[in-house]
This record gives sequence, C-alpha cells and structure tokens, in this order.
Amino acid sequence: MSHAAVQKKKIEEAPAEEVDLTAANAIIDKYLTLPGNLMPVLQGIQDEYGFVPPPTVALVAERLNVYPSQIYGVLTFYSQFHLKPRGRYIIRVCVGTACHVQGAERIVETFFGKLGIGHAETSEDLRFTFEKVACLGACGMAPLAMVNDDTFGKMTVQKVDEIIAEYNQRPMK
Amino acid sequence: MVNLTIDDKQVTVAKDATIYDAAKSAGIKIPILCHDKKLHPFGGCRMCLVEVEQMKGRLIPSCTTPATEGMIVRTSNEEIVKARKLVLELLLLKHPVDCPVCDAAGDCDLQNLTYEYGVSKNPLSDEKFRWEIDYINPLIERDMNRCVHCGKCARICDEIVSFGAYTFINRGIDAKMGTAFDGPLECEFCGSCVSVCPVGALLSRPFKFKARWWAMQKVKSVCSYCGTGCQLTLGVKDNKVLTTIYDENQGFHNGQLCTRGRWGYQFVNSEKRLTTPLIRKGSALVEATWDEALALVSTKLGEAKSAAAALVTPRLTNEELFLFKKLFTEGVGSENLDHSAGYAHAALTDAALKGLGEAASPSVIADIQKCDLLLVVKSDAYETHPVIGFEINLGVKRQGVNLRIVSDKSGKLSRLPGAQTLLHTPGSELVLFNTLANIIVTEKLVDASAPLLDGYAALVTALSSCTVEKGAAVTGLTPEALVALAKEYAASEKALILMPLGLGYPGHGSALAQSLLNLAMLTGRIGKEGSGVLFMGEKNNSQGAADLGIVPGKNGKDAAGIIDGCIAGTIKALYLVGENPVVSYPDRKKVEAALSKVDFLVVQDLFLTESAAKAHVVLPACSFAEKDGTFTSLGRNVQKITKAIKPVGSSKSDYEIFNKIHAAVTGKPLYASCQALFTEISESVSGYAGLTWAKLGSNGVVRPVTLSPKLVPVVAPAPTAEAGKFALLTGSALNHCGTLSQYGEGPMMVCPEGYVEFGRADVKRLSLVEGDKVTVSSTAGSVTLKAKLGNRLSEGVVFAPYHFNDNSINSIATGAPVTWVSVAKAK
Ligand code: SF4
Ligand code: SF4
Ligand code: SF4
Ligand code: FES
Ligand code: FES
Repeated sequence: MSHAAVQKKKIEEAPAEEVDLTAANAIIDKYLTLPGNLMPVLQGIQDEYGFVPPPTVALVAERLNVYPSQIYGVLTFYSQFHLKPRGRYIIRVCVGTACHVQGAERIVETFFGKLGIGHAETSEDLRFTFEKVACLGACGMAPLAMVNDDTFGKMTVQKVDEIIAEYNQRPMK
Repeated sequence: MVNLTIDDKQVTVAKDATIYDAAKSAGIKIPILCHDKKLHPFGGCRMCLVEVEQMKGRLIPSCTTPATEGMIVRTSNEEIVKARKLVLELLLLKHPVDCPVCDAAGDCDLQNLTYEYGVSKNPLSDEKFRWEIDYINPLIERDMNRCVHCGKCARICDEIVSFGAYTFINRGIDAKMGTAFDGPLECEFCGSCVSVCPVGALLSRPFKFKARWWAMQKVKSVCSYCGTGCQLTLGVKDNKVLTTIYDENQGFHNGQLCTRGRWGYQFVNSEKRLTTPLIRKGSALVEATWDEALALVSTKLGEAKSAAAALVTPRLTNEELFLFKKLFTEGVGSENLDHSAGYAHAALTDAALKGLGEAASPSVIADIQKCDLLLVVKSDAYETHPVIGFEINLGVKRQGVNLRIVSDKSGKLSRLPGAQTLLHTPGSELVLFNTLANIIVTEKLVDASAPLLDGYAALVTALSSCTVEKGAAVTGLTPEALVALAKEYAASEKALILMPLGLGYPGHGSALAQSLLNLAMLTGRIGKEGSGVLFMGEKNNSQGAADLGIVPGKNGKDAAGIIDGCIAGTIKALYLVGENPVVSYPDRKKVEAALSKVDFLVVQDLFLTESAAKAHVVLPACSFAEKDGTFTSLGRNVQKITKAIKPVGSSKSDYEIFNKIHAAVTGKPLYASCQALFTEISESVSGYAGLTWAKLGSNGVVRPVTLSPKLVPVVAPAPTAEAGKFALLTGSALNHCGTLSQYGEGPMMVCPEGYVEFGRADVKRLSLVEGDKVTVSSTAGSVTLKAKLGNRLSEGVVFAPYHFNDNSINSIATGAPVTWVSVAKAK
C-alpha cells in the first residue's frame, strides 16, 4: 500500500471532530505557568466536557509543550479519564464476590437488555453509560447498583425497570 | 574516583559510574536488555542483576546502582543465573518466539540471552499477546507482540530525537508500548527506535525478509547525504547494499542516523542506475563503450581549453575532487570550475577564507554540547542536518545549553526547553546580525581582543548606521529583543553560532556568514572551545570541496557565470559531475537554456538526471558504496569510506574516470590508487598535512585550522517586499538532502513530492485543507504543489523544499533570498 493511500484511509477513519476549544483554552490559561500542570488541566477538561475530546489533547500538547503520546499514556493509565463522551447518568453494577454470589450477573444482563448497551458503553442519546465494577464496599447490601452518587441495594430485576424509568425522567442538564 | 571489587578484580571508576559501567570498563560483561549507554538509566528489566556484598539479601540492578567505594560485586553465581533465567522465562511467556520469521534473529538480545542462559523450557505458561501489527506506516513494522517493554524506543525518541512518538499506554495486562491514541506511527522516521529495540518488535520494513543478519557482510562507511558525516555500517549481500546496521559505538553520534542515512541507501542498487556510457546520436542517447566515450570527452575538453567549464558535486571523495581539479586546471587548462551553485558554499570559500584565512569553520561539532549559548540561524538547521539536530537536543536537555533561534519560521528546535525563537521578517537576517554587532559595539560589550584585529575601525564605522531602531523596523523585532539577544550573546562565556548552508538557502551566502564571523570576533569567540561559528555545509563532502578549492580560479567563472557563459556561447564545453542544476540551481528555465545551448555537454552521474538527459555524453559513475576514499565533514572530520560492493553494471568510480581523462589530457601516467592521491593531498593542502590513510583509522581525524581573524564589514541591503504577495522561503525537507534522496526509497516513502507549507493564519484565510492543490506563481513562472498545513509560519510567509524534479521550486525561485509569489487554489 502506498503511503498516500494510507493517509487517505486514516483521514476517513477519524473524521475531524468539531469541538469548541474555548473552555479548554481557558482551563489551560489558568494552569499555564504552574509546575506539574498536566494532571489538573486534564481533570479540568474532563470535568468541563465530561470526557477528554481528542482535539483538546492536541491543544494541551501544543500549549503545554508535552508530547501527545505522553498525554494519551496518562489518559489511559488513570481510570478517571475518559476519551469518549459519557452518559449523563453513569450506572454501575457491582460484580464483586458478594454481589456475584447474590446474582449480580442477572442484574447486569437485565440492564444490557433494557438499555441496549454493553459494559463501558454509552447510549446514543448520551443519557446512560453502563459499567460493571468491582466491590463497591457495601457488600451487606449486595447485589448493589449505583447511578451517579445514588446507591441502590438489594437489587432485583424489577428494580432495574424502576431505575431506568426514574432516570429517564430526570433532566439531561 | 571510586574503587570497588568486581568478580575479584580491582576496578577504579569515575564517581558517577554505575556498577554496570564499572564492570564494563573492567571488561566484565553483565547482560542487559533495557539499558542503553546513550539513555538515562531505566532499571526496568532486571536482566543486569548482580550481588553486592554490602547489600546482601536481594539482588541489585547494576545499570541503575552507583558504584561506591569498597563495594564488592559478584556478577554471576547460581542465584543470579536463576534470577536472570526467571526474567527470561517471564518474557518468553508472552513473546511469540517466532524467530524463524523475525528479521532481528541473530541480532536479538532476547534470543541471544535465551540461548546463553539455556532457557529451553518454561515452567510457566500464559496466553500470548494478540496485538495487531502496525503495517500502516511505510518504514517501521511495529509488532508489539514481540515487545519486551524495555522502553528504549520511547526513551530515545524523547531524550535524543525529541519527537516523543511513543509511551506506555493502558494499564495492567493491557499495557503496551504505543502511540498517541494507539494510532499508526507518524513521525520523523529517523529509525532511532528501530536501532535500539533489543528484539524484533520494531523492524525496518524496506529490509523485511531481505537477508538473515548473519549472512550479511558488515562494511563501515560514512553517510553520503549531508555534511554531518555520520558513520554508517552497510549490510551487504550478493553485491547489494540491503540495509544499514546500527552500531552504537560508531562516531560522535553513537550510531544514530536520520531518515536519509538510515533508509536512503536504496539509490546504490537502484534499478534506475546508469550502467553503460551513452553518446548522443541525434535526439537519442545510445550505449557506447568506455573507450569511445572517454576519447570523445578528452578530445572535446582538450579542444575547448579555457572555454571549458565544470560543475562538480561535493558528494565526491576528496581524492576525486583533488584529481578533478588537477585534470581540469592543469590538463584542460580552464579555471571555470565551481560547485553547488556558488552561493551554497561561499560562507566557507569566501567569507571564512577572507575573515579567518581558512575556508572552514573555526568550530567543530563537539562544541555544540560544550557551549553555554547556542545561536542558530534558521530553525531549518534541524531539517538540513538532523543528527546535528540531535546534538542540539542533547546539548539543551542534558548540558543546559541556552538555545536562541533567529529565524523566518519557527521549527522543531523552538520547542526545546528554554528555547527562544526570534521570528524576523523574511530576508532580514543580515540587517539583524549587523544590528546585533552594532549593539555590542555601542553597549561596550566588545572583547579586548577585537580592537586589535585588522578591520576593526572600518567595521565600527560601517556598523554605526545599523541602529537598533532601524534594525527593529526592518526585522520586525522589538528593539528590546534585539538588545537582549546581543547582551545575552556577549555575556555568555561560551557562545556558538550555527548556520546551515545549501542550495535551498540563497540568503545564506558570504555576506551573512561574514556578519556572523564579525559578531564572533567582536566578542572574542574565535578559537575558543565551545565557541565560535559552525557553518553546516550541505553535502557529505562540502567541506572537502572547500578545502580542495573546487571554486573558480582567479580569472575563472563561477557557477552563475558558467550558466551565463553557456547561453552567451563563451563556454563551449560543460562537464557536469554529479550536479543536477536543472533541478537544484536557481532559475530552471535559464539553466535549461544553458544546457541546451552549450556545444558539448558531458554529464557524469549515477542516474539519467534531468540534466543528464540533455547531455552529449553520459558517463555512469559509482556510488559511495562502490569506492574507497575520504569525506570531510562539516566539523572538519576527515573520514574514510570503504568499498562495500563491486561497481554496478559497467559503471566506474569518479576516481577511475578522472584518472583516465587526466592521463589522456596531460599525458601523465595513471595514479596507482586513491591512497596515492590522499598522500598528495596531505602534502599540498593546508590542514591535511601529516594525515595518512592509516592515521584516519575508523573514526577519522579532525583536521586542524590555522586562523588569522580579520573583521570585514558587510553591507546589508534592505530586504525586498511586495504588497499583497507571499514571501516564499525555500529550503530543505527533513527527509531529503539534495536531489539524490529522490532515488532513495525510504525518503520517498515518507515525503514523495514537493509541497508548499502554510501557517495557521493563511490556512484559515485561504480555507485550505491538507493536500489541496495550490498554484504558486512568481515573475519567473508558476508551479502547482500540494498544500501542507503547519503552525510554523507567520501570515504571508510560505515555505517549499527544493529537492524534487516535478514542479521543481527553481521554476519560480531564481536565487533571491526571498521570492515574492502569489498563491491561488488550483482548479
Ligand atoms: S523513527 Fe525516530 S521519530 Fe519516529 S518513533 Fe522512531 S525514534 Fe521516534
Ligand atoms: S518496542 Fe522494542 S524498544 Fe520499544 S519497548 Fe518494546 S522491546 Fe523495547
Ligand atoms: S543525512 Fe546527514 S544527518 Fe542524516 S545520517 Fe547522513 S550524515 Fe547523518
Ligand atoms: S461485592 Fe458488591 S459491594 Fe462488595
Ligand atoms: S538492564 Fe538493568 S534493569 Fe534492564
């Protein structure tokens, strides 16, 4: 394959995303002169956009004079960072030992079926992101689910419907 | 110094040495995987474990542990061997062990250590990695299944190359060496990462399945592209150069190369090579014998006498250049002799000769890492001489060198820590440096040695009109910035100036060079270590050509005069040796007219170049890989090249061809060997005195200079400007050197054609998309090139590299430092 063909392929694969960089620039401005500013800048961007959009990585790389590869290394090392948009409501279902024993897998399967998304995926309308997680530290309430900061203990298949209905009514902002 | 005992041997080493270094200095081998002498210690692989009497209870990584006084070290015992075996077993768990189809086999640390430690079965078992192999980039195969996570690729790309393509990505079991967004590799393609990868995870794609490592002959030579003079090892089999092989002990650069050096070797065995002499019969060039061709050339040159002219490439060896000069001046009787369009070497042959008494730089490459302040004229110094660029990276990052770049565009160097780039109006360099010199005079920063130099009074008078205000107005810089730079330069104890030369840089001629020398002399920087000026000759033997005086004689014509002479009919015969002026000299139309007009044109080259296509006689010459000889680097290092293969087809080395013509036109006997010519050089060329073939050894000898500094005022014409037009800057593309690299596969794979680069503001203004076709027109003509989007150029300034025949930039650039052009999107 000639290199020209290769470059063409790449551009098609990754269409340029339109991202408003104003907020990212403001965050960078804030930390620009501080030592060790990469982490706070990335955290700021993640908080602002809900994830770290790839064009902001290029921006941070240029303005902080860090290699894009290094930023990507940081972003993929820490689980707190996300490179794809996240849902407004993050549903976490524990699959730790206690929850597993109490039938967590059925809860997980039910969410999968009802939401039409799998682990670490986000619904198209950006309302829900679903994640399986390890022990959430409340084994007494197993099986356990969380939506953002709200906890739901002693989960059942019926409760899954209720939770989805409830959060479908909540606002997106 | 510290004293320690390693395997019962007394060892004394420097204070900062590690146990590994200490053992190495005593000839004791400790196995390593992740350690590299050029890189900061990493301590990741645990292959180098040793036992230290004072730290018993655990094994110690010798590559990161400092040697301390009285240490008692054991580099091998049962426990150590067991530990090393475990390291290997763990690595082999995941490794595919596909040695039979791996190009690294034979040169693979993992394979060799597995063999050495006899790891024949693995008590552990695990799934293998299943990473997709990166075949997308054309030069480097990245098979992360073979990776041993030594981190060397990421470290060299960061520490030395300063590109930073790689990093460890992901966590835990998914961790791997990757790129940003885990995408395909898109980088400078210097190949440093491939060089240091201890296994077959990073491989050269052009070399894939070409030969087993052990089946190749390894021949030491010198790169034939730029003036840096990097040493090379050629991998040779069946009379073909198949690859370049990394040798970390070669040269000042520890075996590091750039794209051209590493992947540009294919021109040697290119199918496009000329294999027989050709003689024009009507409109066709037809095959001829050497006897016919040489007889014709000797006769025609002999007839033309002082109406003959020659343009010779500084890619030839010193011996060849020396012999050619004899042949031409003494044999043919002509003084019309030049190279590289004249201006591309005038910094040496004119400015340095007048200002220093030697056509050479006062400084050497080693000064880059010894200076306190490095002043680089044009960010392009990285593109023209990439391995010098590595030296700059190391100087700034490891030695704390202060980097100041005075340039018409920013560049990679601008991003180095602490670097400051002064972006000036295109074409205002000369005004800028004269202004700096005047600031040094008016602020009384002149060194005590300067007023004693010849020409001081005249210089001071001449500079008095170069006021800061005027300088600021012309250069577009603030008066404060100019004053600050002058003061900083004067205040630094050791200050070195770098200036790249080349056919792409018509502004980098004698006057600019002289202004730099003046600046260095005013501040007493000539002849001091870590200080002075380093002119970076474009070609592998540009310095040699300057040393051997491949310039017009007193009454001779220079390159421009020769072209004019051909058109005017005063030059009757033109001998082009390795030069391709149709593509590389200013004003293509004029050059083509000259070559069409001249009565007799003989071209000696490896390829049927655009210039050769116009010849009456074409003589097929050999590449550097087919001959012995010497090149002199920009740092004045005289180094040997060694014949690695037999001449391709019935081509002959330039030495052999000249030898025959020389004998024919002078009636003198043939030279017995090029060594004999080297002896003559050492007897007649100042600076080469006392050098012998044997003394050059494998590292070469830096030839000395005898300097007699003299200040020479230079007048700075105001730069031109044309309203509503773009300033076109020409120059070098990172992956190319001259027009030769068009025949090297690697450079063409990553940079296959000319382009015109725009800065952000113009991209927006013209709504350009990468790859858009744009027509660039000057008063001389117009060319259509692809647009390249960058962030280095100011509004209204564009850049285009010269190297390429198709849509060659000399169709619109005619030799002015800045060409004013209009730009329009092509329909
Ligand atoms: S080829 Fe050079 S620039 Fe590219 S990744 Fe390797 S070391 Fe870095
Ligand atoms: S690719 Fe090669 S150099 Fe890079 S970490 Fe893996 S084994 Fe080491
Ligand atoms: S082209 Fe120049 S910098 Fe590159 S390897 Fe050859 S001599 Fe070295
Ligand atoms: S296992 Fe689910 S909360 Fe502990
Ligand atoms: S060589 Fe010492 S830890 Fe890798």
